[in-house]
Amino acid sequence: MSTQAPASPPSAGGGLPPDGGVPLIYRRGFRRLVQQGIYVAVTALVAWYVYDSLNLREFGFGFLDDPAAFKVGNQWLTDVDGVTSSRIEMYLVGVWSTLRVVFVAILLSTLVGVIVGVSRLSSNWLVARLAMLYVEIFRNTPLLVQVVLVYAIFLVGAPIIQEVLNIGDFAFVSNRGVAIPWPVPDGGWWGAPDWFVGVWVALLIAFGAFAMSVRAKRQDRERETGQPQFANRWAFGIFAVAALVTFVALGLPVSIDRPFVEGTRYLEGMVIRPEFAALTIGLTLYTGAFNAEIVRGSIQALPRGQSEAANAIGLSGYQRLTLVILPQALRQMIPSITNQYLNVNKNSSLAYAVLYDDLFRVAGIIQNKAGHALEMFFVIIVTYMLISLVISIVMNFINSRVTRVGV
Amino acid sequence: MRLPSLKGRRLVSALLFAGAALVAGAVIGACTSDEEDQQAQATDQQQQVMQQQDQPQPRAQASGEPRGDTIQLVMDRGTLKCGVKQTQPLFGFRDDQGNVTGFDIEFCKAIAAAVLKDADAVEYVDASDASTRFELLADGQIDILIRTTTITSSRDMELDVDFAQTTFYTGQGFAVRKDSGINSTSDMANAAICVQTGTTTEQNVADHFTDIGLDYEPTGGLSQDVAAAFFEGRCDVLTADASDLASRIVVRDDADDYKILPQIISKEPLAPGVRDYDSDWKDVVNWVVHGLLRAEEIGITQANVAAMAANPPNTEVARLLGVPFGDGEVAALGFDVVDAQFIQRAIAAVGNYGEIYDREIGNAIPRDCTLNALARPLPAEAVDCGPGEGGIMYALPYR
Amino acid sequence: MSELPPIPPPEQRPLPPVPGAAGQRRIVLPPHRQRARRPRSVRAREWVRKNLFNSPGGTLLTIVAGAIMAAIVFGLIVFVFFSANWEVITHNRWLLFAGGFPHEEAWRLWVSIAVVFALIGAAYGTWSSFGRRDHLFVLLVGGFVIFLMAHGGAAIWSTIYFLIAIGCMYLGYALTIWMPRETSTLRTVQQRIVGGLLAISLPIVLVILLVGGEVGPRHLDGFVLNLILAPVGIVGGIVIGIPLALGRASRLRTISLTCTAYIEIVRGAPLLGWLFVALFILDDIIGGDLIIRAMVVMAVFTGAYMAEYIRGALQALPRGQYEAAQAVGLNQTQSTRLIIMPQALRISIPPMVGQAISIWKDTTLVTVILPLRELKGNADSAIAQFEFTPDRIEAYVFVAVIFWIVAFAMSRISQRVERAQGIGER
Repeated sequence: MSTQAPASPPSAGGGLPPDGGVPLIYRRGFRRLVQQGIYVAVTALVAWYVYDSLNLREFGFGFLDDPAAFKVGNQWLTDVDGVTSSRIEMYLVGVWSTLRVVFVAILLSTLVGVIVGVSRLSSNWLVARLAMLYVEIFRNTPLLVQVVLVYAIFLVGAPIIQEVLNIGDFAFVSNRGVAIPWPVPDGGWWGAPDWFVGVWVALLIAFGAFAMSVRAKRQDRERETGQPQFANRWAFGIFAVAALVTFVALGLPVSIDRPFVEGTRYLEGMVIRPEFAALTIGLTLYTGAFNAEIVRGSIQALPRGQSEAANAIGLSGYQRLTLVILPQALRQMIPSITNQYLNVNKNSSLAYAVLYDDLFRVAGIIQNKAGHALEMFFVIIVTYMLISLVISIVMNFINSRVTRVGV
Repeated sequence: MRLPSLKGRRLVSALLFAGAALVAGAVIGACTSDEEDQQAQATDQQQQVMQQQDQPQPRAQASGEPRGDTIQLVMDRGTLKCGVKQTQPLFGFRDDQGNVTGFDIEFCKAIAAAVLKDADAVEYVDASDASTRFELLADGQIDILIRTTTITSSRDMELDVDFAQTTFYTGQGFAVRKDSGINSTSDMANAAICVQTGTTTEQNVADHFTDIGLDYEPTGGLSQDVAAAFFEGRCDVLTADASDLASRIVVRDDADDYKILPQIISKEPLAPGVRDYDSDWKDVVNWVVHGLLRAEEIGITQANVAAMAANPPNTEVARLLGVPFGDGEVAALGFDVVDAQFIQRAIAAVGNYGEIYDREIGNAIPRDCTLNALARPLPAEAVDCGPGEGGIMYALPYR
Repeated sequence: MSELPPIPPPEQRPLPPVPGAAGQRRIVLPPHRQRARRPRSVRAREWVRKNLFNSPGGTLLTIVAGAIMAAIVFGLIVFVFFSANWEVITHNRWLLFAGGFPHEEAWRLWVSIAVVFALIGAAYGTWSSFGRRDHLFVLLVGGFVIFLMAHGGAAIWSTIYFLIAIGCMYLGYALTIWMPRETSTLRTVQQRIVGGLLAISLPIVLVILLVGGEVGPRHLDGFVLNLILAPVGIVGGIVIGIPLALGRASRLRTISLTCTAYIEIVRGAPLLGWLFVALFILDDIIGGDLIIRAMVVMAVFTGAYMAEYIRGALQALPRGQYEAAQAVGLNQTQSTRLIIMPQALRISIPPMVGQAISIWKDTTLVTVILPLRELKGNADSAIAQFEFTPDRIEAYVFVAVIFWIVAFAMSRISQRVERAQGIGER
């Protein structure tokens, strides 16, 4: 309002000599100085008031090093027992849990968003209606209720572990979770140690990079010559062959670990626990509805001529979508989609309601045991901001890649 | 001449802003401290603002009520703010009309009747979330916390909470399905265990499994959520206070499918919590509980309390009910602001301890021969208990 | 998904010569009217072919989608009419609706509802009109509410009050829809009155609810709490958001820096985190009742998001607007108040409505951290009762439906407003 600086009116001081006749109080620089001075003073007063109100005598993060004395569930790749480990280790376990949920929910919600967003524009009445129904339902109900509902439905709907649903001795479904096969490092023919699998992964990365460079080169040639160069097929072929050859050459360093049920628990394999599933599915359905609207909006924002032109050169519906429409719509949707990803990050704190030990819940437990609410909140907000920062950086990178290709 | 007027208006707006900023600064300064008058140049008007801001709501009052005088605070307010659970059957839950009921709630009513002479002058504040309950107390959002809260040394020492007489004794137990084949914690290797978080329970179970050298897989959350998950088959074991387990199992249709293991791994005396450094208030709470216990010991009930008060059979009844005996030879006992009939009012409102137990818990958790039975039952109600069993409810002498 | 509409819409085609049968008529109909005259069965068949079975892939899609839809509908019917035990809702309807609100003061709730309904009706009558779908929506929702009240011990008086409230809505509508729509002083006065009443409807409702009698903020419970918290968050958010947005766009470095810091920090943490602050940290800073703190947090949180939307709108305004304002001699305050903000607020209405719906849904979060029992919290209480412990899904589905109804109504009303105001059109 009045704090906003004048947008340099041309008449303000240009025609007058430096201090010729204009009283100090009318000069823009001086007034800005005064305004800012007052503003800073007031802000400082408020800050001082807040600082003074807070009880900061015991401020410090030392309490995070004390033993945790509680155990959290839903651990994956970690096994922190809580008795010998410190609170900060427990918190990091929570951060890791959050990261898993956020990562999976972002991937799935993007997939759901694209499929549903495109379906909403389908010429098939039923498909479009179904997609609209989905969006209207999931966008307009609270995520908290969706998450607890998914959890409750899973617990009631899935069979109990004694009556576990056995899918060909391959995967198991019960309300203790879904157990699926999972690759694990294996000694292979030569009985190599577990770290040996790293060699294979490194080789895969190297060949992946090589395949991508081949793909880029072929795409360039295709753009220049107009002749189809099958860039994707080449890249995939190179990668697949290389992966297979190295896998055999290194003596099968990875084996698939099939789960089985013993008593009332799953052993081996990978167990997707109901809490993780409920939170991830809830986040996916909710965010997917928003993503679908973003996808639809950005497709609709494209000029009609784009799809007409694609038809005119004889592309099929699928080709038109993947080669013409989506790549262009992608540019428009990335900023909004990024916002949704940041929301997924923040909304993952709803784990508090479904027994999933994410960073927010672990922080709550620590705070409950040790006090230090201010410090704990500081830790929470910094963690969420860091995750948001990572998401933003990745999305900015993707954005720059997408917008770089000129039309 | 347009320019000067434009500038003039800008000046006015700048001055207005400066004035507003100064007033705001003065107000903030005044709220923070009275002595450090940083705004010495503030005008009379601004000082008036300061005073207006200052008088009705001193900051100490606004945040957390003043310490050490909860009785006066409650009487001034006219209602008792009672922090209770709203999601546990038997102990604290809500009926279809939004009323909170349960065992713990009866004690809120008793204390309100004792202090405010009105058992309905209670404002029930939801303290269902174990993680935040002590903050509510310390913050002054509630006057008393009656919410199946265990007395522990760490809470007493570290938190701003002080505990009154225990109203219910229990211990941490384990509920399992009868067909699970689990008979003690030593059968629970790698079991999935549902645990309430924010409680002593999760620490007890972590300690216990460390002691017996077994691993387990916890699923933690609010007590009603973990209980629901357990009954759906998510966990093999539900661990909580034995009374909590019993209350959740007994209300189910398939209650017979579950059992509570006899093994109890901890002591959980559940007591009302009050703020630290407020012994008058704690005394009132203490003596209401002891008074209700004493009433049971000597047979005063909700039904006969009026008759007893009108015509006390002996000096002890007269003293407990705060009425004169014979020629007025019994000294009336009361607090400065709470008169001598406070226990009489509590009994009239909710009955004695045994009546509360029978009404709110009844056979859901049998009382005979548990710690909650009277240490010296009335002769007519005495039950033969096994060795080592029997109650420890024992009213302190009221005289 | 896979096929383009095979032919462009009929309106865009040149008119073909009129066939002989219709040639006898004096009025030559455009082709799409002629199509409409063909037998209903033909039209239906054509529609089905065009929209459902336009290609082999389309047919497959239709079959798959139809199967999914049939499964959903079948599942819903089985759940709603056979397997679910809705007694958990009908028995606890007061708990869910108002919880601890004193029974003898319930008239305050009904009066508030009637006032809000009447205002909604008046707003519709002033700027828009009820379409057939709107009547249908009112009918469905009203029927749903009355069904709830009729079941499990009929609540006759509540039903009558509710019907009166609906009547108030149509009364407000009737009073305003008959007024002339042409631009005139009367019209302006009407718009000012209705707009002003809408603007102060929240304080009016708060006065009706809380002044006099023994109702305090602590009695706001159940669904009523959601209905109060969300508007407070939205209105407070806009009030906080406008200066924040201007501050962030300011050229004074200190001001824009602090406003940016505020916005980014508030947006950096989830609302649950800020409610955590309300409970554990704000007691030292502002104190007061928890419900007041929850309102403050809601407003502060929403304010940061609103500020971002308004800032986006400020940036979207053509520079010419600023320059023109200056050229006609308006000072900074005047140009902001008269030129910039009205346009910026108009542009930012759609995202702000989105945020409003979002904060409406987020009112469920107060139960998670704070000892406040809103609708979802009271649903948790309902399923803690002995007889209803197995009915979790029913309770949560009901909560979802209630939230959906209000959120859906909000989005539809805002679409109406946008269309009536020409927002979003260039």
